[in-house]
Amino acid sequence: MAATRRLQKELGDIRNSGLKSFRDIQVDETNILTWQGLIVPDNAPYNKGAFKIEINFPAEYPFKPPKINFKTKIYHPNIDEKGQVCLPIISAENWKPATKTDQVIQALVALVNEPEPEHPLRADLAEEYLKDKKKFTKNAEEYTKKHSEKRPAD
Amino acid sequence: MSGSANRLQLLSVMSFFINTLKNILHTMLQLLWFGKKTITNSLNIYIKTSGGNTLSVDLDPSWDIKNVKEIVAPKLGLEPEEVKIIFAGKELGDSITIAECDLGEQSILHAVKIKTKTKLPDISTDTIDEIEEQNTRPLCGTLNDAMFSSEDSTRNSSTTSGSDLDVSGNSNLRVHFFVFCPTCKTLKSGKIRVRCNFCNSGAFTVHSDPQNWHDVLEPKQITGLCENNPELCANILNNREPTFAEFYFKCSEHISLGEKDEAVPLYLIRPNLKDVPCLACADVSDPVFVFPCSEGHVTCLDCFRQYCVTKLTERQFWQHPEYGYTLACPAGCSDSFIKEIHHFRLLTEAQYGQYQRFGTEEFVLRSGGVLCPQPGCGMGILADPECTKITCINGCGYVFCRLCLQGYHIGECQTAEGDININNEGCLYNVDPTRAAEARWDEASKVTIKVLTKPCPKCRTPTERDGGCMHMVCTRAGCQFHWCWVCQTAWTRECMGSHWFG
Repeated sequence: MAATRRLQKELGDIRNSGLKSFRDIQVDETNILTWQGLIVPDNAPYNKGAFKIEINFPAEYPFKPPKINFKTKIYHPNIDEKGQVCLPIISAENWKPATKTDQVIQALVALVNEPEPEHPLRADLAEEYLKDKKKFTKNAEEYTKKHSEKRPAD
Repeated sequence: MSGSANRLQLLSVMSFFINTLKNILHTMLQLLWFGKKTITNSLNIYIKTSGGNTLSVDLDPSWDIKNVKEIVAPKLGLEPEEVKIIFAGKELGDSITIAECDLGEQSILHAVKIKTKTKLPDISTDTIDEIEEQNTRPLCGTLNDAMFSSEDSTRNSSTTSGSDLDVSGNSNLRVHFFVFCPTCKTLKSGKIRVRCNFCNSGAFTVHSDPQNWHDVLEPKQITGLCENNPELCANILNNREPTFAEFYFKCSEHISLGEKDEAVPLYLIRPNLKDVPCLACADVSDPVFVFPCSEGHVTCLDCFRQYCVTKLTERQFWQHPEYGYTLACPAGCSDSFIKEIHHFRLLTEAQYGQYQRFGTEEFVLRSGGVLCPQPGCGMGILADPECTKITCINGCGYVFCRLCLQGYHIGECQTAEGDININNEGCLYNVDPTRAAEARWDEASKVTIKVLTKPCPKCRTPTERDGGCMHMVCTRAGCQFHWCWVCQTAWTRECMGSHWFG
């Protein structure tokens, strides 16, 4: 299986690289196709917490893109209530088998830090973000405090 | 006096005796030698003569071409010096051994009578000998993998200046070809052969070696001399053009079944000379699949198969007007379609069958045809575009309406749902209409398709929306129509403004 071999390699590389913004990677030994980890954003209003995500790789990986789901609720124009995220790098049209998971994670972290209201999944939040940034930031901060995971100590 | 005479006699007797002994020893040795020659490791080879006869001979791989000439010449009524041996586009030199020639069991050598002596033996200097030696080595001994690591000569020459030099300098590195063998029905290593482009005779010598895949695959790249009937080939062509070589391939792994036993070169499969990792799984393997894009992206053969299967099940192969049903580089490079679709023979029989079926269906749809809607049939039918009554002539015989794909009817297509017209006239049983509706064969999938899908407004492919926004992009290769799930028409800015997310 190309997926298994490739994911073992990628998992090893990511664990060794010591990413600050993506930590606590947990992979079930019997199923390397599902990863869980913690997104730790640097920018306000999300820098008060951390967000658990799940990455699901299809059996046809890397010829089909992985899917990312937020397990922690987040107030973000590009991530909907179900935790679905619209990330161009893993859309069917843009996906390239040579794209590595660490690039996908970097893109995800960048999107969390800098929302893209032009391509929203939640039109209401996008509108708020564009029209009343102050209110958006306040709401997002409160939401983060209430729902997010604890940030790792270091 | 008498004593010396006796001695002389004795001497002559002795010398006679010694001579006889010598002769016996010599013949015994000869016998032993010849005996050895035929016993060890013999290779059954066919020799085709210029007269059109074929001789079957057993050769020892350690013999050289001179030995072969000695065996063949008497059978042709010629002296060994009057015969030249041609194999794979080369006249083989006397000192070449059989083992060097990449001959397989029942390979064919060509023996041709030398017409005019071109070379005067006296003036042959060392340098000429060397050149001669180069020209008379078999093709498999003069080609190497570095030459064939890219398709076109321009790219090849630019790469040979770099690290490739070490590789091409290594004369021990023999060229590796991969073929799809129709006899073994799988990927095998192959060997290159040469024949006259005009009369197809194998008694053909090339003027120069092919330097890359372009020289081998494209017709009329390398000139040569047809030894079968040079006057004929040259005359018929009226000397308007030189006689050209035609390269073809054979499977190395089964006993040759004659001259017609060819194999298709899978030239995108190449030895991994520079240990390039697979772009999908990052493993370094050998051989690899090199995509025909400018970057030359590499995948291992396993990942190539998986790429094909993934694209096939999503119907994302592309119906190319020239090449057929094919794929491009997975990295999305432009102008990178696989030209030789026999590369898809790397798939299993079942997968290849599916590939062929999908390819045919795509071709039929592209040509404005329809596919028979009967479950298990799916026959492609090309009919007059005006005609709505389609009969599955070569398939199941079903007669259906082109527009609604239901049984043929007169008048408008019925679009209403729940139109179960159970005709109870003459029926003695009282059947519950809902039960009867549920019990219809294949009804479940029809219902599923009806409930969950909407047809693409352009190509009518039933499409399921499994999440996301209302902006749909048709997934059928060649359609890719952007449409709106709500309006079921082309996607507009207005759709984006009012109901992008429903």
